[in-house]
Amino acid sequence: MSLTEQNITLWGDDIPWLAGLREKGLNAFNKAGLPTAKTEAWKYSFKAVGQTENLQIDTAPHECDGHCHHLHDLPFKAYQIHVCDGKLHGEHFDLPQGVSLKPLVEAIYDGDAKAYLNKSFEAEKFPFAALNTAYLEHGFMLVIERGTVVDEPIFIRYHNEHTTNTFNNIRNLIVVESRAKAEIIEYFDGNGIGNINNIVNEIFLSTDSSLQHYKLQSESASTRHISFNSIQQKSGSSYKCFVAQKECTLARHESYIKLMQEGASAEVNGIYKLNSDGVSDITTNIRHLAPHTISNQLVKGVVDGHAKGVFQGQIHIAPDAEQTEGYQLHRALLLSDEGEVDCKPELEIFADDVKCSHGATCGDLDKEQLFYMQSRGININDARRILIEAYLQEVLNKIDNSAVAEWIKAQF
Amino acid sequence: MAEPILEIKNLSATVAGKEIIKNLNLTINADEVHALMGPNGAGKSTLSYVLTGKPDYEVTGGEIRFCGKDLLAMKTDERASAGLFLSMQYPVAIPGVATNNFLKHAVNAKRKYEGLPELDAAEFLKLLRTEAKNLNIGADMLKREINVGFSGGEKKRMEILQMSLLKPSLAILDEADSGLDIDALKLVADGVNKLHNETNALLIITHHLDLLNHIEPDIVHIYADGHIIKSGDKNLAIELEKSGYKTFVDAE
Repeated sequence: MSLTEQNITLWGDDIPWLAGLREKGLNAFNKAGLPTAKTEAWKYSFKAVGQTENLQIDTAPHECDGHCHHLHDLPFKAYQIHVCDGKLHGEHFDLPQGVSLKPLVEAIYDGDAKAYLNKSFEAEKFPFAALNTAYLEHGFMLVIERGTVVDEPIFIRYHNEHTTNTFNNIRNLIVVESRAKAEIIEYFDGNGIGNINNIVNEIFLSTDSSLQHYKLQSESASTRHISFNSIQQKSGSSYKCFVAQKECTLARHESYIKLMQEGASAEVNGIYKLNSDGVSDITTNIRHLAPHTISNQLVKGVVDGHAKGVFQGQIHIAPDAEQTEGYQLHRALLLSDEGEVDCKPELEIFADDVKCSHGATCGDLDKEQLFYMQSRGININDARRILIEAYLQEVLNKIDNSAVAEWIKAQF
Repeated sequence: MAEPILEIKNLSATVAGKEIIKNLNLTINADEVHALMGPNGAGKSTLSYVLTGKPDYEVTGGEIRFCGKDLLAMKTDERASAGLFLSMQYPVAIPGVATNNFLKHAVNAKRKYEGLPELDAAEFLKLLRTEAKNLNIGADMLKREINVGFSGGEKKRMEILQMSLLKPSLAILDEADSGLDIDALKLVADGVNKLHNETNALLIITHHLDLLNHIEPDIVHIYADGHIIKSGDKNLAIELEKSGYKTFVDAE
């Protein structure tokens, strides 16, 4: 059975616009097909997608034996939301005034979702996002209402524990209304085996709103994690993303950001650390579509063993987007002969008055620094660990919430 | 008779295939201060790197015993924990590593080697504050990343601070006086003198008499072309300052 021949019925197939949307997704995927060496956006990581013939979509209702209950050892306060084995846990959520969260199907039923669903990207360009649309059912719609400043992070834990060879499609809509401000933390973990977790976040930032988007990807070794984040930003809005990827078969975080109006700014920072044979792929496409927009990217990775680190960063500056600034830097430590680091920066600049830069470095740990530490009695393993920690710290320093930074650091 | 701390016998060493140390013999006993003086390029720093076991410095002959142990069989960090310290001519900067964390790692590595419990943050800070104060090193400097943006004088004081925390049996000071003004030189010399006692020894590598006026040497060696060509007391250094290295090297 292939990914497109799942014999299942989805909620709301009798709603014409929804059925139409799913069909559009399916057609877009069929046209594009699974990524190959010729798919530019996937040229370094398509192989890691691997076997898909044996995957099934799990249509059983969510039955929870309690494993998805709250994390009690989080070192900071947070509003916790749980997506267990691909399904949202519960229907009522303990959230503060001005914040609403609904299962996606409820948001579709209530008529809230239609204005946003599939509105932020072009399906034919993103095969897995198209497939996500074809099967959209699970996920949530989160709305931060106008002017609401959320006092604690909204912590979303995606925990895959009891699934094997499952194709989990999760679709979230995140709407931050004007002058609202929130932090969300996505945490992916669990011992599920051989799954593809295909997550699409469509994020809409209204005028002068702000969203801090933290993500820690820490799933089982056999997981293929494919996350597509499509962000649309209005004037004066600020999106700041920090992604941390630990090792699994494939961990891909793709950001597709449209700075649509003046004064919008976006940041994508990230770290990854690989020791065995996994692939980490951080792909960004930041589109400056209006003047006075700013973007910054800093990604650092550590690659050992037979692993592969990929960074693809595109900065597009539209013809009228004058006085924009776009900066990008990817640095990697390549610690083994068998490891691989691929970096592809792309700048497309159609305006004249812009400031742009990109850079990439790849190297081993500094021998002089290692010797200096050893000459002070620190053994080679500790010296390497300290230097790697220091290397990643520069990116961790970009996280505004220091408790969250410490939490992420502790897992690296 | 004092215990020998360092015994170098017939040592030869190469760097990148080039022989830099040629049949060197040197014994340093506890309580002694040795000065190694010589022209640029004589291989003085090479000796300090061979002793500390820097990669790419290859020993091709001879042996070195340190406190009775076979030094060449030990790794760099083991040598340090066993009591060998090198104050480097050009200490390297390590962005991202706070000075106080670095120092804590170093102190605890040695304690671990000696079978002592590691110091916790509070215990360590107490120790650090006392030692840092003697060298006029403030809390601000200890919070900075180690050697990042440090002036020449700050770097040298940081080296001596590490020495005072690690309390080595043998401290090699490689050009510890270079780039220091008179006050800083005195601070560094005082720090070194305070640590020196009858159980440990110093090997001072220098071009000039300056530092030796502050740290009194027992034995002065003139080092050229990879080995010692003449040894004597402090008067040799004074003579050297007057006549220059060339006289000695030519006489060889």
